[in-house]
Amino acid sequence: MSIQDGTGVEPLSFDTSVAHPARVYDYWLGGKDNYEADREAAEQVIAANPNVLPGVRANRAFLRRAVKYLVQEAGIRQFLDIGTGLPTAENTHEVAQAVAPESRIVYVDNDPIVLAHARALLTSTPEGATAYVHADARDTEKILQEAAEVLDLSQPVAVMALMVLQYVPDAAHPGQIVGALMDAVPAGSYLTISDTTRDIDLERVTEGTNRLNTRMGATQLILRTRDEMAGFFGHLDFVDPGLVPLPQWHAEADPAHIIPAYAGMARKS
Amino acid sequence: MSEGSDDGLPADAPLGSAVVRMMLGAQLRRLREGAGLSPEAAGYQIRASRSKISRMETGRVGFKERDVADLLQLYGVTDARVLTSMLELASQANAQDWWAKFGDVLPDWFEPYLGLEAAASLIRTFDLQFVNGLFQTEAYARSVASIGLRGAGAAEVDRRVGVRIRRQELLTGARAPRVWSIIDEAALRRAVGGPEVMRGQLRHLAEIARLPNVTLQVAPFRIGGHDAAGGAFTVLRFAEPDVPDVVYIEQLTGAMYLEKRADVDHYLDVSNRLGARSLNPAASMRFFSEVLREL
Repeated sequence: MSIQDGTGVEPLSFDTSVAHPARVYDYWLGGKDNYEADREAAEQVIAANPNVLPGVRANRAFLRRAVKYLVQEAGIRQFLDIGTGLPTAENTHEVAQAVAPESRIVYVDNDPIVLAHARALLTSTPEGATAYVHADARDTEKILQEAAEVLDLSQPVAVMALMVLQYVPDAAHPGQIVGALMDAVPAGSYLTISDTTRDIDLERVTEGTNRLNTRMGATQLILRTRDEMAGFFGHLDFVDPGLVPLPQWHAEADPAHIIPAYAGMARKS
Repeated sequence: MSEGSDDGLPADAPLGSAVVRMMLGAQLRRLREGAGLSPEAAGYQIRASRSKISRMETGRVGFKERDVADLLQLYGVTDARVLTSMLELASQANAQDWWAKFGDVLPDWFEPYLGLEAAASLIRTFDLQFVNGLFQTEAYARSVASIGLRGAGAAEVDRRVGVRIRRQELLTGARAPRVWSIIDEAALRRAVGGPEVMRGQLRHLAEIARLPNVTLQVAPFRIGGHDAAGGAFTVLRFAEPDVPDVVYIEQLTGAMYLEKRADVDHYLDVSNRLGARSLNPAASMRFFSEVLREL
């Protein structure tokens, strides 16, 4: 029995006494799906680096701009969203389906409780579809197999990995993970990535990250450089302006804060 | 916010509105304090006394929407969504609640729930013994009302059923909340009102589950024991960022309204675990048919 058909009889290892990245992120975004350990960790990070708040909001704004671009400019109607997180305002399917209601979105998360939220609260327009895959990002075989039930993998797909590869250690080869996903989709598909970086505002970012990591369980935030992140895109062709500081990607307004993150989108040709 | 917390309210005020007033008041206080303003300064803005501001902030008086708008402006609130939702709350706080005319059949501890439910953006429920009131058919509701009211007259049962059916308009209304409900298999197997009534109820659940804003999940017996050991409960969430979730737990002779963060956290955790362990929505739909066949 798997969690996928819901008869998940395996004991849940969901520990509310340590901070969890999805719930900390929820707190930073003003959500209410978090516990004491998450709030404490989130506040500790804010104290070390107040820019974390504009940072997470900037990442949501980037998601919005990226998905709009993919639907409106690139004509994409299929999305594979890795690391769904807890539902918030303007989730991937809502942004996509607002423009193209027939859009189909597969959300992937390794956390059964995050996934239960997605399944219950991220529901599709009647014209489109949303589906939920319970898998670790590393298990690309399972992701692709289950995504294929909802997405036509012979047609272009936008793979989204926003603020998620930063939780995948080098030993698990984040570049190979997105590489395997992009290998399974046809030319005309896109890869979109955002991650926290050590290249910008290093001192405060390091302190904030240390505070977070000591309060989280096995999952740890890894700060990478722009070059390391650029490697995740392999031989794909960057959409202008390339891999840039996150607020600058198709910016709608001048960023008012220093956001220690890069974002980029690339196309498979 | 249990029984008796309404002292200071005019006796004729519907309690549902009172709860909404408390929510709005608490939020106004946070915004005022956030803006670093004294109650006197706030009062000056709306030509009111310090004590009027204090009564507003504790939810003990009604709100003029104009006053709320002026205060929000003074507090520097410019986010259109926050403005709209606060003004919506103000209008609800003053509205004559539809259930006021059912006062004779509504226990006073239940009325505040109706006010909160109407203001919620997300309703999460766990039901164990009975199908949730929001999903009951008229026949099922009639059976439940009759059980609780041995010896009650038909007219009283009718009125109780009337409240329940009226309440359900919430699900399809213009401001319909999202509802995420977990139903223990026990509530589906217990043939309240007999097999015929229960068959109708199960078909109705399958219809409700098709509403775009409703997610139903069954917690089948085969998952074994689960975290909701204490029984049925509801968690209400409000769109306003500063208004905390409220847990509602009904007992035989009263109800508890839990707002303390530690209590709310506990019930959220239980809901979350149940949500992850229960059948997913599609499998739950199949489960309704299965129970229907076996009935």
